[in-house]
This record gives sequence, structure tokens and C-alpha cells, in this order.
Amino acid sequence: MSKSQDKILQEHDIREGDTPKPHAGVSRRSFIEMIGYSAAVLALNGCRAPEQKIIPYLRQPVELTPGVANWYASTCGGCGASCGTLVKVRDGRPIKLEGNQEHPLSKGGLCALAHGLVFSLYDSDRLRHPLIKADAATWDDIDQQINKNFAAVRQSHGKLRLLTPLISSPTSRKVIATFLQHFPDARHISYQPVSSSAIHEAHAQTHRRSAVPAYRIENARLVVSFSADFLGTWMAPVQFTRSYSQARNLQSGREMLRHIQFESHMSLTGSNADRRVAVSPDEEIEALLLVAKRVATMAGSVDRVPAELASFEPTRLSPEIRSIVDILFEELRIRQGKSLVLSGSNSVSAQIVINFINQALHNYGHTLDLANGSDRSQVSDRAIVDLVEEMNTGQVAALVISGVNPAYDYFAREEFIRGLNKVPLKISLSSILDETASLADYVCPQPHFLESWNDAEPEPGLFSLTQPAIAPLFNTRPYQESLLRWSEDGRSFYDVLRKHWQEKLFPQQPGGSFDEFWDQSLHDGIVRLATPPSTTPEFTSASLNDAVKQLKEESNATAGKLTVALFESVVLRDGTHANNPWLQELPDPLSKVTWDNTANISPDLARQLQLEEGSLIRVSKSAVSVELPVHIQIGQHPECVSIALGYGRTGAGKVGNHIGANAYPLVSFARGTFQYLVSGIVLEKTGGKVELARTQLQDTLGERPIVRELTLASYLEGKPKESEAHRGERKDLWPGYEYTEHKWGMVVDLNACVGCSACLLSCQAENNVPVVGKEEVLRRREMHWIRLDRYYKGTDDDPTVAFQPVMCQQCDNASCESVCPVLATVHSSEGLNMQVYNRCVGTRYCENNCAYKVRRFNWFEYPHEDALANLALNPDVTVRSRGVMEKCTFCVQRIEAAKIRARNEGRAIRDGEIQTACQQSCPAGAIAFGNLIDLKSRAAQLKHDERNYMLLEELNLRPPLSYMAKVRNVENLA
Amino acid sequence: MSLKTATILSLLITVIGAVVLLQGSTFHWFGNQQGYAPVQPIQFSHKVHARDHQIACLYCHSGAEKSKVAGIPAAAVCMNCHSQILKNSPEVQKITRALTEGKPIEWIKVHSLPRHAVFDHSRHFAAGVQCQECHGPVQTMERVAQTETLLMGMCVNCHRTHREVTLDATGRAIVSKERSQARLQASTDCVVCHH
Repeated sequence: MSKSQDKILQEHDIREGDTPKPHAGVSRRSFIEMIGYSAAVLALNGCRAPEQKIIPYLRQPVELTPGVANWYASTCGGCGASCGTLVKVRDGRPIKLEGNQEHPLSKGGLCALAHGLVFSLYDSDRLRHPLIKADAATWDDIDQQINKNFAAVRQSHGKLRLLTPLISSPTSRKVIATFLQHFPDARHISYQPVSSSAIHEAHAQTHRRSAVPAYRIENARLVVSFSADFLGTWMAPVQFTRSYSQARNLQSGREMLRHIQFESHMSLTGSNADRRVAVSPDEEIEALLLVAKRVATMAGSVDRVPAELASFEPTRLSPEIRSIVDILFEELRIRQGKSLVLSGSNSVSAQIVINFINQALHNYGHTLDLANGSDRSQVSDRAIVDLVEEMNTGQVAALVISGVNPAYDYFAREEFIRGLNKVPLKISLSSILDETASLADYVCPQPHFLESWNDAEPEPGLFSLTQPAIAPLFNTRPYQESLLRWSEDGRSFYDVLRKHWQEKLFPQQPGGSFDEFWDQSLHDGIVRLATPPSTTPEFTSASLNDAVKQLKEESNATAGKLTVALFESVVLRDGTHANNPWLQELPDPLSKVTWDNTANISPDLARQLQLEEGSLIRVSKSAVSVELPVHIQIGQHPECVSIALGYGRTGAGKVGNHIGANAYPLVSFARGTFQYLVSGIVLEKTGGKVELARTQLQDTLGERPIVRELTLASYLEGKPKESEAHRGERKDLWPGYEYTEHKWGMVVDLNACVGCSACLLSCQAENNVPVVGKEEVLRRREMHWIRLDRYYKGTDDDPTVAFQPVMCQQCDNASCESVCPVLATVHSSEGLNMQVYNRCVGTRYCENNCAYKVRRFNWFEYPHEDALANLALNPDVTVRSRGVMEKCTFCVQRIEAAKIRARNEGRAIRDGEIQTACQQSCPAGAIAFGNLIDLKSRAAQLKHDERNYMLLEELNLRPPLSYMAKVRNVENLA
Repeated sequence: MSLKTATILSLLITVIGAVVLLQGSTFHWFGNQQGYAPVQPIQFSHKVHARDHQIACLYCHSGAEKSKVAGIPAAAVCMNCHSQILKNSPEVQKITRALTEGKPIEWIKVHSLPRHAVFDHSRHFAAGVQCQECHGPVQTMERVAQTETLLMGMCVNCHRTHREVTLDATGRAIVSKERSQARLQASTDCVVCHH
């Protein structure tokens, strides 16, 4: 893409430099030009369109009608959360992922990453065939050679190690177990580059059960989180966002969930908290211990308060923080069994204290369910550290790596690579030639999850299926099938999966035939089997004393030192999908930076070190250093520098390579787990400065009521809206419109929206929105139809944050419509502000006159030179060309499709039948869309809610899109 | 050569060229494909099938009822009859060959809309629009030709007036002068077709 842009720019430059010289007569050249012009005019009149072909099927599959989309229920393979998806397949091509409303955990939500994964399917950097020592090979050859090598390993009793991510698929676990049995000394190692294994290790100590509990935020009335980014990246963010917004829904008639967050780095979750307390990492530990101490001294919580906890006195907490903890404790005390305390730390000691607090508050069994937790007894961070040691001492005879990339994301990657080079047999099952696969002897590429069969068990008793939505595009083989081939099993993984379901799952449910059960499960995507009731294991406080002691030491050791917080970005997560341009161009919800990772520092620290936005700094810890541009992050604690992981890839592919810097080397391994908070770092200014490609430069609103907020107390009192002054009758210049059948409107609930940015990517996938690249983002030419504004209020140290998705407001008195000289933007009879691409001549008057700045101009033809990437385009939406204005259409293609469906069936459109792309998979359910004429529609009802307001109402643009004011549950917390 | 001479020469060439090209039926406005009748890979006669043998349009173009596109039948649909009838015809042989070799037949598209225009067959079918209104008397054609302009004016005219259309004895569409009350008024919003 950038290549062609460069070319266009070059041509442009040449033309500008080529000043015309005055000429006396007519040169031969201009004469020929004139003749050429005349000929062109004539030719244009008489010409025919180029010949097009229609190539029908030889035998058309029964389930397929060209032009009609098929939907398949499946499971998202983006992260371990296994959210339920519906895959839209149009003419044989998966083009869109949507949330499966019937999934009991994700409940129809999907995150930004999931939406982006459709594009990864058509990534031309994926491996197209197996490789033997970097040369193309056939599966027969590769199997023969590998089996021969494995035989030698078996004979010599050599050690075989299988390295994978956390496998939540029961059938795959079975395949792995069978494979390992074929070797005398074989072990399976699960590796998570961004690990949360402290949670199950802590439970192993406090509850004697190595499991991650199921969190039930919907049952909580108070969530206290210590750096857990549960709305952004922690564990299962889509599920948590859904239950969080449910619990904060004011219409539910229940007490609104209150959320308090202690954190040093500004996270998406923290930005949504009713009260966010910016603390340094050592203060965070002290606050946690203080809460634990208060809870421990509460009557009846424990038999005996551990000595270390009893003797604990916070030394560094400011009086304000202490008073917040006091209030907090009072609230926790009266909400026993209805509160939830979380920590995002990967330190076992911190998680032990968390478990103790939740236990003492009787939260187990209510807001977190350990009895139905996911077993993780086979998983530990130590396993990979031990493996690397084994490799370096030359003990490992064969290493099979599938789905992980430690040569990039292992904290001591050089050591891993050194060790890997000592392994005689290295087999990678990666789908791209990534950092690790490029070091392997054999590469057996696996298909994308949209091309594969699989299953998952996100919670005990809840099984979901992944089914292929397209035949594999390339000569790939599922990793399970490769393992089967190497354990003398010729079956396909599909056969194994079906057999496993027939033998293990089918008998657990009542009656019917297996085929019926299988078809139904495949249709639904999920099946819930009754699980044997199990009780929460007994709590034991034996480990608590040591944990507190260790935390105290840690807090003392880090006090006053600069700490780096390494986090997963909402956009790129651990970096596996870095080669996806949709994800790279999605602005970070807080910093609004695209195509880069930054060192986020507080304004205080920036002043102190005389750093500006974009100044390059070196962050180093002993021998390891990372060079990055600075982003000045409001709300960041001055003692904390935060850096997103997942950037700085070198083996991701042509899009993802060399974007940002790799911060994994800063991760440390201590006390059995990976630590993402590393203190004692040194910041050095390197002198340079770069411009960050940010999509929002205005951070505050001043007094303008753009994002309206009210406190819960004032909402309950029914105080008039802030905006009442702006209301009142206004005179219109135009007579106005009369709508007879439909008047489309949308309501965005700012109280539900958490700023996860999933809507941006859902819209991008649905509406063929192009990616423009970093250079063009720097020129403010990004094309996302939704702009997710983020505003800070309050002080730099203690801001409150609000998010506001802004898309075309489809104004009745549209300022764009009145200035278009060619009538390319006009009003429809259903209240839509239509943009007619084929009429647009690109004057950009509309863009200039738009009060909301939601129009986007195609500065270039954004061709997909890559023919494969074109397969991701939605055929129902025109691909806009250069010089054409575009904007949100309320997904008019969906409206028209629904109208056609309803009219063909001779009925009216039902409320909720049309779901715009942004609305459909919003994890928070923040968007309502419908016919405003129908007063019973959800959108119409919310439109008349007292929290409802229109953006820039005073301009009298009369948009049918309105917002619901944000409500902050801050009573007693100010 | 002076500028004046050059301009006159250029204009002259334009006029002469226009006279040559604009005569008869060779001229079309840009985008108008009226009269386009490409030679197809198989000499399929709609006259034989749709008129002589009275096979309904939907038997082959089944998508028209339920999809945006009417669709070209799969080769296997042809063989529903031709596995028995006229097995040895050289044209039928081409289909048989396509099926045995696994090479689909590459038909040449006759009725084509620009990419920024969306047309949904199912809606028009359900509204009772006859195929012939846009496609012409296909059942009389040995080789399919585009008889209508298929330009926007044609669509909008119908959407505006929505007149009753019947077919005459030759299969040509007769548009009545009266506006139909029975049919639902079609929208003339731009986004109905352009999105």
C-alpha cells in the first residue's frame, strides 16, 4: 500500500516541479495533446465496459445461494477466553465475525482483536506449505523424516518437549496426551507470554485447588481492583465487560455496581472506575495489605490474624489514600458476598492476600466461583524456565513448538535461542514464519481458526465448538493432526473430535441420537452439560503470613524507585497478531497512538526530565534496555513508566515487523512467576524526537457539555440535566422532514461504554474501511468511521476519564447537506444523511462544515495490491475510490437488507431486527438502534430517558443519534 | 503552426470523427451497454428453453427469488435434463466435458451494473416485477442481448411511477400509463441502491 502511495506522491512532486514555459506558437507536443484529447472524448462516448465473466459452480452446494450469506456458530481463537462467535460467510468467504448472543459467557460481545482476526485469515504472509530447513516440502516427506527422527529419539530415550499456549480444548489435550505417550520421556509445557499463573498457584496454596475461579462480576455490587485490567485484557475482558455493564445498568432496578481501582499505570479499566486511585507500585501493595488487615480484624473472618498482617502499618500511604481505604473497607464490610477484590499482579503473594480478602468477605460462591473454576494444575511459569535450562544443558532431544513464539516473547529470548540451537530436532507448527519458526528444522504450518475444527471448555461443563468456515486457503494442517500423524494415527482431527464428543460428552446429556446432539451443538456453537455439583474447597490461611511478609519486603524494596509496568495493549495483546494492519491502526483507547508503542510517563516526570511528547528515551534495567518515544499520560503515577508489550516484532510479516519496540526483555522471573512490574529502572534521554501518529490531540473539554456526567445521587434525585439551559424551541431555516414509516435513530449509552474500541473494528470490517498507514495518520487522514473520543477531567494526577464514540449523527438539519455543490450528500426519506459516492466530486465542503467532524476523505485510491486481502471485503458495500467522501451510514446495507426481508415476507421490521455493526458485538451493549417512530422501540424509549442528550444540541442540527449521560457512583468517595 | 490553425484542425478532426462514429446504432453514451450480445462459450438458446419448452426462468435462475443475484445455473443443473436429452449435441458435450474435467464454464456477463449500484433480484421478484422488464424478451432470443439501457434513469423511472407492467404476446413488456395502486411504492432514496 505504502509503495503505491509513494509512487503517487512522487508523481505529484514531479508535476509540481515542472513549471510550464510560455510558448509562442503551438508546439508539436501540444498539437498532439489536442488531437489526443479529441480522440479521447470520442472514444469515451463510444466505448464499452470491459468484458466480465460469470463463473458458476459445476455443482452448487445445497446450502449455498450466491449472494446470500451463511452464518456459522464458532469459537473465537484470538485468546484463551473462547468467546462465542457467528461467522458470516458470503459466497464461500468468511468476511465478518459477530458475537453469538446465546453464548452464556460472552453473551454476544466480541473484542476488537476478534474483529481483526478475519483479516488475518487473508494474510499473505501466512505459510503456504510445510518447510524442511526453509525449503518447501510435502506432508509425506516431512512426516517421513519427522517420524524417522522421533524413532531415534525414542530409541535413545531422549527428552521430547512440547511447547504450546494454554490449551482449553479437551480434545486437543487428549491428542497431546496420546502423542506424549509415544515417548519415554515427554512433557507438555504450556507457556503464556503474558502470564496470570499466580492466580491458580495462589489458589493451590489457599484452597488446595490449582484453578482459576469463574468471576461473576454481575453478582457484585462493589469491585475493588488492584491493577487488574479486567475490561481491557485481563482473563476474559468481553465477558467481564458484559457483566460489568449489566451490573451498572441503571434500568435494572438493582443497586449500581461501584468500581474502585488502585493502579499506577493508566489502564482502560482504571479509566472507567468510579474512583481511580493513582498509587505507586509500593503504595499499591500497602493499600492491598491495609485492606487485608482491616478485613482480618473484622469479627469472625479468621481465627487468628497472622502476625505479619497484625503488625502491618502502612508507612507511605498518604492520608487521603488511607481515608479511601477506610471508606472502602466499610463498603466491603456491608457488602459481604456482594463484592469482588481483584489483582492484576502476577505475584503469588499478592494473589494469596486477594484470596484471603475474598474468602473473609464470603465472596467465594457468590462473585467468584472456585468450585467451577478452570483447572490449571499442569500450568506454571517455571516450566518454561526449566525447559530453557534443559535446552541449554543439551538435555532436550526434540522440541515441538505450536502456537507460541518464545524467540520473540520469552523474557530471556537470547537464552532461549541459544538453547534452541542446541536442540537436535526442532519442529515448529506455526502458521507464519515467525521468530521461533525461522529457527526450526521443520515447519508444519497450521490453519487459521476459521479454517479449523476445534473445541474449547471455557468453564467446566461449558463446551464450545470451532468449525471451519472456509476450506484451508493454503496447504496447512491442524497441529492436532500433525501430532496424530506422529503418533501412528491416520485419522483427521475432525474424526477425533467427533469421537471424543460421542464418547465423553454425549453420554452426559439425556437421550437422543449422537448425530442430533452433534448437529445441535454445531448449530448453537455451545453446549452446557450438567456438571457434578462441587463445593468450594476449604480455605487455609497457612500461606498468608509468608505472603504478607514477602509483600512487605517487596513494597519496601520498590519504595521511591522508578518502576516499569509492562502491559498488554487492548489492541495488540501479546503481539501474536502484530501482522494485522487493522489492529496496528486501531488507536490505543487512552493514548490514541497508532502504529507504535510508547513509554507512558506522568506529566510530572516529563517535566522533571524535560521530556516532551515523542521524545526518545532509553528504559534500561541492568543490561537490558528498550528505546521508545515518550507519551505523556495523564493519570499515570510519577514513579511508574508503562510500556505495551507485543510490539517490535521481527518475524511477524511485512506489516508488523519493526513497529514499536519489544519490551519483553524487561520482564523478570521471580519467585516462580513472571513479573510485569519491574522496579529500579533507569530512564535516559537519547536526544531524538519523533512525532507519534495519534488520532486525538485535544484531551480536555473545559466546561463544554460534550460528555455529560452526573453522580448517581443526583440521578436518583431526578435532578434536571446539565443541559436544560440549552433546550427550548428553536427556529428552523428549513421546513423539516416528515417521516412516515421509518426514522432511524441510535442511542449510545456513555454509562455503559468502556472505550474498548471493538466498534471501530467491527465497523471497519463491515464497511470496507481502508487502512491508511502511519504516515497518513500523522497527516490526520485516518479513515475510521467511528471516532472514539477520550476526555480527561480534573487534575493531571487524578483525572476522571470519559469515552464517547462519535460517528455520523445523521442530522436532520445537516450542515453538510446544505453545502454540497453536487448533491452528493442529501437526506433520505427515513432520516438518514446519505452519502452518494458516485456523485461525490471531492470538494470536501461537507467535511469542513460538519460540526462533529465525522466525515472521512479518500486521499488516495487505497488499493489492496494484495489480491488475497481483497477477499475480506464486504461485497454489500461499495469500495470507495480516491477523491470521494465517506462516513458512517448507520450500516444502511443492513437496513436495506432487513427492509427487503421484511417486505418480501409482507411484514413490518421488528425492533432489534436491524443491528448495526458497532452495536451487534459491543461487549457493553452500549448502543441501541431502531425506528424512532415506533415509540415502543428500545431506541425510542432511551431517546426519551431523562439521561438522554444530543451532542452540540445548541447548534440545532437535530441529530437522531443521541447519547445517555454517564453516571458516576461516587458518593462518599470524592 | 499557429494556435489558431491547430485549434481549427483539432475541432475539424473532432467533428469528422463524431460524424463517422455517431452514425447508425454504433453510438452509445458512456456506460450504456444497450445492444450488447457477446458470443457465449456455449451456444445456449433461451428461445428453445424458455419459449419452445416453457421452462420457467426460476428453474435455472433460482437465486432471483431469494438472493440479490439471480445466478447462472451450475453445470449440474443443465445435466438434470441433458443427461437424457441431446446427449450427443456438441454444445451439451461441452457441459459434460466441463463436469468431467472439473473446469467451470466461463459465461460472459451481459447485464451488468456498475459496482456502486446494488440491485436485489429477490425484492423485485416479490414485488411482481417481470424479468422481461429489465432483461427484455429473453425467451425470444437465440443469444442473449441487452435490450434495455439499465441506466439509472430507467430504475428511477420505475421506482417513481411504479406502473403496472404486463407482457404482450411476444413477451415484450407493456408499461401501462396508470400508476399501480396495488404495489408498494418503491423508494427513490439514493442509498436504496448506492451504499
